[in-house]
Amino acid sequence: MSSALLLLTAAALFIYTKNLLDNAIEEELYSQVAFIEQNIEQGKAPKTIQPILSIKQITDIRPTQVRDTMIYDPRQDEVELFRELSKSTKTVNGVYEIKVRVLVVESEDIFMGIAISFLSILAIAFLILFFINKSRNEKLWYPFFSSLNKLKNFSFDTKEPIVFELSKIQEFNDLNNGLNELVTKIRSDYNNLKQFTEDVSHEAQTPLAIIQAKIENIINENDISDKQYEELSSIQEDIKRLTQLNQRLILLAKIDNDQFANPKAINLNQFISGRVKDFQGISKNTFQIEVTEDAHVKMDPYLAEVLFNNLLGNAIKYSQPESEIHIKANTLMFRVSNIGATLIDNPEKIFERFYKEGATKKATGLGLSIVNKICKYYSFTPSYRFLESEQLHSFQIDFNE
Amino acid sequence: MKILIAEDEKALQSSIQTYLDRDGNVCEVASDFYEAQQKIALYDYDIIVLDVNLDTGSGLEILRIIKKEQKKVGVVIISANSSLEDKLEGLDLGADDYITKPFHLAELNSRIKAVLRRGKFGGSDTIEFHEIRVNTSSRTVYVEDKAITLTRKEYDLLLFFISNQGRVLSKGIIAEHLWGDNSDLLDNFDFIYVHINNLRKKLKGAGARYIKTAYGSGYKFIAE
Repeated sequence: MSSALLLLTAAALFIYTKNLLDNAIEEELYSQVAFIEQNIEQGKAPKTIQPILSIKQITDIRPTQVRDTMIYDPRQDEVELFRELSKSTKTVNGVYEIKVRVLVVESEDIFMGIAISFLSILAIAFLILFFINKSRNEKLWYPFFSSLNKLKNFSFDTKEPIVFELSKIQEFNDLNNGLNELVTKIRSDYNNLKQFTEDVSHEAQTPLAIIQAKIENIINENDISDKQYEELSSIQEDIKRLTQLNQRLILLAKIDNDQFANPKAINLNQFISGRVKDFQGISKNTFQIEVTEDAHVKMDPYLAEVLFNNLLGNAIKYSQPESEIHIKANTLMFRVSNIGATLIDNPEKIFERFYKEGATKKATGLGLSIVNKICKYYSFTPSYRFLESEQLHSFQIDFNE
Repeated sequence: MKILIAEDEKALQSSIQTYLDRDGNVCEVASDFYEAQQKIALYDYDIIVLDVNLDTGSGLEILRIIKKEQKKVGVVIISANSSLEDKLEGLDLGADDYITKPFHLAELNSRIKAVLRRGKFGGSDTIEFHEIRVNTSSRTVYVEDKAITLTRKEYDLLLFFISNQGRVLSKGIIAEHLWGDNSDLLDNFDFIYVHINNLRKKLKGAGARYIKTAYGSGYKFIAE
């Protein structure tokens, strides 16, 4: 729309300017001819000056006319446009034809001039408007971007509510109020959900206890067949799995609910050798331990037990029978490596909740996600690496001390 | 022994009662806070199996009453909550043991007997089973009055067997008793075979025959 208007204005300006110039030129031509006529009458006929003036004697009077003509200009070595006025005048000395020519500014040049000036105006206007708008917009939208930024940084892990800045603009205040309600609702839903997980898991423990106890009594009070015993034992195994699943879910919920707030400095040397001693009773793996004397980490003792038990247990579970498990730790990191033949299909998913590699082991799929959760809770960095040449699976935790 | 089972889940309550009755114990039950409160006020028990979450009040409150009145009774808490704080709170209040739901009745039974053996509540620190005699305070085992040397696991295993004599103990239950949560790291039960075979050898002739295989894959400690 505005560009159409602009084009129209430019066109009008072009026509107007061209007209103006044409009129000026014609006026000039007429006045020159008038001067020359005067001179001829006085008998001082000027000489012809090519290409702007030519005077010659003719026999009859021709009509006065203005026309455009192209004449070669040797100095500029190009054909130029001239306006020419030819007029016959009758004097005592005979009839003379006077042709006066003036170099015309070409339409092309006018057009270019107009176009350039228009474009420059446009560019300048655009630049000025751009910067004015930018600074104004920044000011105007500041509350919006401030809110947006706060939303981007929002995390369920922090307990503090989001405080939006009060703005002079009603719409932004409305937006902030809306967001506040939304965040509060989401947070309370999230907390309910966390609590729900914990409650459900707790509630499930009692029925499990009843099933477990009844099975034991069935086995002891009745004469059952070997086949029935096998079936009941298998139910007991599944109860155990369900129990573990429950306990792990409860643990995850408790970490989420921040119920482990008493970190202590734990001596890794003592701690790990204690764990390994426990495991040696049930594993045929050999353990090579390389822990510096003063290695320690600050965390809740129970979570430390869960963390290292899960990692060491994992290494035992997935290692080749009677292979060596290597444990290295210092104040900066802990690493456990085991030799396992099978390649992990999705190493990036290994810390995810309920992710299971293959279906060979009866896993809850929560062990490593608990590891991940505990690491996140203490800002540790867990990582997994596989060294194919040695078939070595390594889990490492950087304590980021 | 006289045992009070304070548990609001009737099904669990009666299952525990069934299991414990077999050892010639006298079991009484309380299904809510008030019944439990009433019964401990009226009668003397050797052991109270106490659920933390009773219908109408906290089991820990019962525990406080027991300790306040300085009753000579062993308390084994059962709880659906496995958290360490709960456990510590229970033990701080003077409970003798703490077991988390779900549990094996054999495990509960062995914990109850262990509490009784600590002597304070009318139990004895000596257990006898035919020619086998175990002194639990010195952790020594005699077969026909001759001391035998058992490893820690073998000793635990023997005590677990004697405590649950006549009952079928699956390998899973035994593994959990011996290794707790770590037992799920066992790929197979070879470790249990090893301990049981060693124990059989050390118990010699008659003793070895007490450990019987039941249903192909379980064990039962019983004299002929």
